[in-house]
Order: sequence, then structure tokens, then C-alpha cells
Amino acid sequence: MKTRILPVSAVDDNTLWNNLIIGDEKSFSLLFERYYSDLVNYGNSLSPYAEKVQDCIQDVFTDIWVYRNSLQESVVVKSYLFSSVRKRIARLYERDHIFRKTATTDAIAFLLEFSVENELLDDDYAAKEKVIYLNKLLNELPARQKEALYLRYHQGLSVEQIAEMLDVNYQSASNLLHRGLLTLRKEWKGSFSLIMLLFSGTL
Amino acid sequence: MQKRNKYTEIEDFLSDESFKSWVLFKIDEDGWEEWTLESLQRAKLVEDARLLLLAMKVPENNLSSSDIHRALHNTWIKVRDKENQKTLQNLKVKFLRRQFLSGAAAALFFAFMAVWFYNSYFKNESTVVTYNELIYENNEGLVEQTNNSDKPQIITLSDGSSVLLQPNSKLSYPKIFTGNERKVYLSGEGFFEISKNPQKPFFVYANEIVTKVVGTSFRVKAYSDQPDVEILVRTGKVKVKSNDLVSRSDKEEIVLLPNQALRFLRSDLKFNKITNITQDAALAQSIGNIEQLSFEFNDIPVSQIFETIEQAYLVNIDYPKNKLTDCHLTTSLSDQPLTEKLKIVCKSIGNNTSFEMNGNQIIITSDGCN
Repeated sequence: MKTRILPVSAVDDNTLWNNLIIGDEKSFSLLFERYYSDLVNYGNSLSPYAEKVQDCIQDVFTDIWVYRNSLQESVVVKSYLFSSVRKRIARLYERDHIFRKTATTDAIAFLLEFSVENELLDDDYAAKEKVIYLNKLLNELPARQKEALYLRYHQGLSVEQIAEMLDVNYQSASNLLHRGLLTLRKEWKGSFSLIMLLFSGTL
Repeated sequence: MQKRNKYTEIEDFLSDESFKSWVLFKIDEDGWEEWTLESLQRAKLVEDARLLLLAMKVPENNLSSSDIHRALHNTWIKVRDKENQKTLQNLKVKFLRRQFLSGAAAALFFAFMAVWFYNSYFKNESTVVTYNELIYENNEGLVEQTNNSDKPQIITLSDGSSVLLQPNSKLSYPKIFTGNERKVYLSGEGFFEISKNPQKPFFVYANEIVTKVVGTSFRVKAYSDQPDVEILVRTGKVKVKSNDLVSRSDKEEIVLLPNQALRFLRSDLKFNKITNITQDAALAQSIGNIEQLSFEFNDIPVSQIFETIEQAYLVNIDYPKNKLTDCHLTTSLSDQPLTEKLKIVCKSIGNNTSFEMNGNQIIITSDGCN
């Protein structure tokens, strides 16, 4: 479990990246293994076609290797990969005639639904209620706010990197994140007492 | 873990990996549990952050390591494919580039060959001088007249000489003759009647030959697309020599007398003098109106003289018929250009008779004859 969220590895991303650029296949494979799973999860949140998503991610890595000579050395590897996958999936939509209307990167919707992990809440019924309610509020947020939150708190990308990925400036990205949480907090302060009341009433 | 003491916002907790692992995976390496309980305010914030984090779980369809391995293997296959494709494309581009280069080289080679062939071909026969070259040599403000109609056209030059230009022919001449020479350039066929002026000889440049006259009538036929140049003399004396532009041909002058002709074979640069034009079928056949008509008039009505001129030069003459009905003239106009002919006729009719020429339209004004 622990290795998944905190990948323990002696070599950091940028060392691997630079080795990759000079043609080290091992470094390429290590980076692939390190991020493939995350990228699949992220990709699946952008497109309902799981197979195509994996195809896109593999294409991203293929291009990285084939065109390694023209890669920049100083990049944040994770956000580079995420943003490449995002672009690649957007292009997939473009090529697909059915999706012609939603051709730009901005238009691809973040489809992911935040979920509640039930087993963690078994001990605390009140908390469970709150979490379910919060989850509902979160899922009602605009897709871009959701995506920003996801990238920020699940993938640990910085606001700058998110701004770059979503093709907006820093302030807009920051606003996306902030507004998401703000609406949430407002809603939740107002209704929490009510929930608490209801909850205590049923008890 | 001292920075967490400064956390004041939910966001601060949300981006803390250690906090996340405590909430989501119950791995409390940094003692979050105790830290939270240190202050009530902190406990509230932590609880909010915890709930939010729990509400933000993302379904993770965890790929097994064999899945990832398969994907990696797949990617390497894609890499090989793409690299092969790339080299193939490069080869193709290179091949095309080479093709293009050799194509361009071939084209250039052929172009050079063509130029060389053209040059050498025409150098060998540099004798063939065309109208355009002549004009090019002497482009001192010439007027060019082209006869595109199907009838001969009369051209009157500034010295009074007239040229009856045949269809598909052109003549270049200066608006006003200056200097001691009168030079015109002909392509095609023309019948020249030159006004007499011994001080200013008249030259007709036509293809490879030059015809020099002082005052006479003669015909020059020099089409650039025909193998020979013909000069046929009607009156006076004509000297013919080859153009200076043609270096190789003999420099001698050939003198032609009336009813003599000369044929110049352009390919051999040979003059061929024809002393009896009636025996040369080609020449006899081609004799035009103007050369057949007699301009010897003996007590002939003016109207008939005008008719002859009209026929010869294909012009229209407008004259006061009623006033000139009884006028008869005896004159010889054979050796005169059109304007000269008209001058003589007008003078013969009377002092108050004059003519005006406008293209092929001639208007005679007269009060009647003496």
C-alpha cells in the first residue's frame, strides 16, 4: 500500500528523465512503471474508453522515446506526463468525428466522480453522513474545478503546473481550486448544523 | 513536521502527503492523532480536512504489475514500429530529394543542350538575318506599320516616297528622315516608289540584303519565313548588296535595271540575278496590280487617271466629279511615288487644285481645270 502512494525509489524523476534523453532504456522503463497507473486513472477520468486511454498513454511514452533528442531537460516529469496525456486524449476527441464539436482541450470534460470509501467510515456514522454529503457537493462542482482539485490533491501537482496543464494563468488555476473549496465550505457550514440536528434527532 | 503547526486552511492539510496517508490509509507515522488533540481549534480544522479528503476519494482501478509490464512491452513495440517508420520516411524523403535533384540536374542539362544547340545551329547559319534583328540594331525611334488586312496598304513616308505594303508584312521607318540616308526596314513584301533625291540615298533593309536606290520604283519581297528574298525593279536603277550583319556573303553590289530582278537564296547567301522577269514563272505570277498598270497617260480624262491610281494603290480618291468631267491630261507618272503622282496630277489640272491624304483616303479639292 505504502509504496503505491509514496513510491520509494532511489532515483528521482529528473535523473531518470535525463538518462532517458541520452538513451537509457532502463530509465525509460522505470518512469513508465512509476507513472503508468496514475496516468491511466487520470486518463480514465477524461475519457470513458479505457482501451483508448491506455493506447494514448502508451503513445505518449512512445513519442517520448522516439523523439527523446528534442526533449527539454528541465521539466517536472509528472506534470509533463499528465499534460501530454491530457493533450493526447483531447486530440483523440478531435480525430473522432462524433466528438468534433468538442474539439479543444478546454472542452474535454473531467468525468471523474469522487467517491466515498466506506470501510473507513464504519466506525463513525455521523462522519459518514457528512462525507457522503460533501461527496455530493464535490461531484456537483464544475468539471474544471473538479479536475483542478484532483490534480492538486490527488496527484500533488503545484498550482503552476495545473495552470499550465489547463492552459490558464496562475491566478485562474488558483481560483479554480479556491472557488471549489469555497463553495463547498459555504454549503457545508450552512447545512452541517442541520445535518447534525437531524442526525442527533434520529439518534 | 513543524510546518503543520502553521496550517490554517483545509488546503494545507489536503496537500500534505503525510496527512493524506494517515487519513486514507491509517498510516500515522508522524503522530497526527496526538497532534490533532493538542488544540480544539486544530481538531475542528483537521476533522474538516479529513472529511473532505474522505469525500474526495477517487476510484482507483489499480493495475497489476503484470498489466503495467504488458503495457510497457506494448510501448516498446510501438517505439520500434515508429522508429522503423521514421527511418523509412527519412529514406523516402532522401530518395525523393535525390530524385528531385537528379531531375533538376537533367532538366538543367537539357536546357543547356537546347541553348547550345540553338546557338550553334543559328551560328552556323548566322547568315539568316530577320526583321527583328534589323530593328533591334537600329531602334532609333522607328514607326512600325503592320498590314494585317487582306489588301495591300499604302504608306507614305516623310520624303514623299510611297510603299504599297502587302498583307502580312510590316515596315519600320523613321517618322522623319534625318541625316544623309533614308533607311527603312521591311519584313514581307512591299512595292516601293521612291522620291528622287540623289543626296539622300534610300535603303531598304530586308532580311539579309540591302537595296540602295536614289529614286525609282521596285518591289522587295522578303518574308522572314521564306527561303529567298526577291527584288524586282520597275523603273530606275537599284543597287543590292548583302547586309553588313551577314559577314560571310560576298560583298559585291549588284546593279539592277528596270524589269530585272534578283533572287537571294538565304541558305547559300547567293545572289541570283534574273534578267528577264517574264521567263521566271514565280516572279511573273506574283506581279501585282501596280506593276502591271501603265501610268503613261495620253489625253486621258482625269477620272480615269484617278481610277488607275485607286486600283494601283488601293486607295479611295474623292474628287469633285462635275467640276473635273471635261479635264484631260497627258502625263507620265510611271516613275513617281503616290504623292508625287498626285502632285503632278493636281498641278496639271490647275493652280487651285490640291490634295489631302489620310490613310488610304485621298481628297482632291478643285475648282475645275484650266
